[in-house]
Amino acid sequence: MHQTKPSNFQNREQNKAMARILMVLSSFASSRPDFGISELSQHLGMTKNMVHRAIKTLVEQDYVMRDSTGQRYQLGFRVLELQNAAAPEPSFRALCAPALQDIHAITGETVSLTVRALDYSVFIDGIETRKPAVWRLQIGALRPLHANATGHVFLSCETDAEVAAYIARHEHDASPAPDEACNAARLWQDIADIRRRGYAANLRPGLVPMTALAFPIWDAAQSVHGVLSVGGPKERFEPQLPGLLADILAIIEALCQRSRLYAAHAAGSEITL
Amino acid sequence: MKPARPAQRAAVNSSAQHVFDVLRTVSAAAEPPGVSDIGRRLGLTGSNVFRALTTLEASGYVSRFRNLPQFELGTMPYLLNRALLNRFELTLASRPFLRALAQQSGETVSLNVRLGWYSLRVSGVYGSQDIYHRDRLGELALLHQALPGRAVLVSMSDAELAGMARFLTGIVHEWPGGEAWAVLRETLRASAATGFLAEPLPMSPGFSAIGIPVRDQSGAAIASITINGPVFPAANIGALLAVRDQLEAMIHADPQRFVSPFAHLPPERIVLQMPGRQAVP
Repeated sequence: MHQTKPSNFQNREQNKAMARILMVLSSFASSRPDFGISELSQHLGMTKNMVHRAIKTLVEQDYVMRDSTGQRYQLGFRVLELQNAAAPEPSFRALCAPALQDIHAITGETVSLTVRALDYSVFIDGIETRKPAVWRLQIGALRPLHANATGHVFLSCETDAEVAAYIARHEHDASPAPDEACNAARLWQDIADIRRRGYAANLRPGLVPMTALAFPIWDAAQSVHGVLSVGGPKERFEPQLPGLLADILAIIEALCQRSRLYAAHAAGSEITL
Repeated sequence: MKPARPAQRAAVNSSAQHVFDVLRTVSAAAEPPGVSDIGRRLGLTGSNVFRALTTLEASGYVSRFRNLPQFELGTMPYLLNRALLNRFELTLASRPFLRALAQQSGETVSLNVRLGWYSLRVSGVYGSQDIYHRDRLGELALLHQALPGRAVLVSMSDAELAGMARFLTGIVHEWPGGEAWAVLRETLRASAATGFLAEPLPMSPGFSAIGIPVRDQSGAAIASITINGPVFPAANIGALLAVRDQLEAMIHADPQRFVSPFAHLPPERIVLQMPGRQAVP
């Protein structure tokens, strides 16, 4: 289970035992209802003894408690005291910010966050690489869903009928570049690959061929909040990937454990915290 | 309110206790507090408070307020609250029923579950009216304090009400007074016959908000549906009760699924400091 690493300054100043206790508590901010000590130990990379001590403290505070079987641990009712009615609920962007930072830190490449707006994807956040040959990040830029890996991920989360309707709307669109045209056969193939793999892994040809990974960030209703992407020049990024992919997938999985607590399309229709 | 402090809470080491006290103080403060505010309130030194805040900030439990040396709750407490609300199966399962009621009434419809002697709002849907009642997920109140809880009390026996009175007087010191309690019991008795509670809305003369208990297969109220806003003509109340009946039928068909994750605790074991009130150090 991924946790955000504190900076050196924070490392010096913070109470390390307490940081571990909070890390154990944070594990419960997940779509999983309960945990055993061994599971937490494995996920957090802590010894069972450390997890046990942390759980004991959290149980004493009623932030965690034994479930009805007495064998596993669940969130305690006292978590409900940690609310502030005056503060706004954190946004999807705030939820994803630590994952963007972490993926940028381990890859050194450009990472971005997009949401869907009708038939387009919109960049809402990201971090550009400091290396030469930069995949430009344009906050607010719109791209048709068929034009890049991010858009293909959005389409892969729709039903086949909805994908077919999208293609019918766009297959005759004028396109600035041949590889950005709405090519039905290529799009269906990409969507099948994404559904099988769970994410997009694309190569964009050009003067500087670019490699990109794009991951769906799931919500509570098996829909998507958005897509998190990372990419860079093929020559630079691809050789790194075999050693980094497992870490990137772990960060995405930890993020999705939390993003699955929310419904993506509830804004304005359902009440919030 | 002075909540009970179960003896085992005192066993936590003092350093951890300071961090939790700082977190609860940030959570309960009306305005984002600074290091010295927190220190003064808790009787801790500035360096102890600073260290606690640094630990909490690094873990996402507090964050800086507009880059000032003041702190507010971070993302993690919200996620934990979301996760806890999702532990109640009724949270997700009730949405289609709440949506149906919101469409019929045009008003804000929400579901509160019983949590010990408290009610907790776990789900809600807004209707289509331009002027609407804003509700908040996670809202807590003692059962007698607000309409959702009073709707749960409608189907309670005299023995259970006496148990709640003991909790209010002996544990949380929130006894409303004998006269107010008698008036409440009279209202509950009158509502038991109709199966719902209607309460006048101060800002909408002539209209009422409605609370309807939701019962399990034993007849015990485990939740309530509330419709807030200038609602529905009384003649249409049958439609509201029909939606409640469908929700109850779903619960009765699979009772184990809808048992509260805290049902194994006696109600008096659940003692909560209401969010928004000053934390007790």
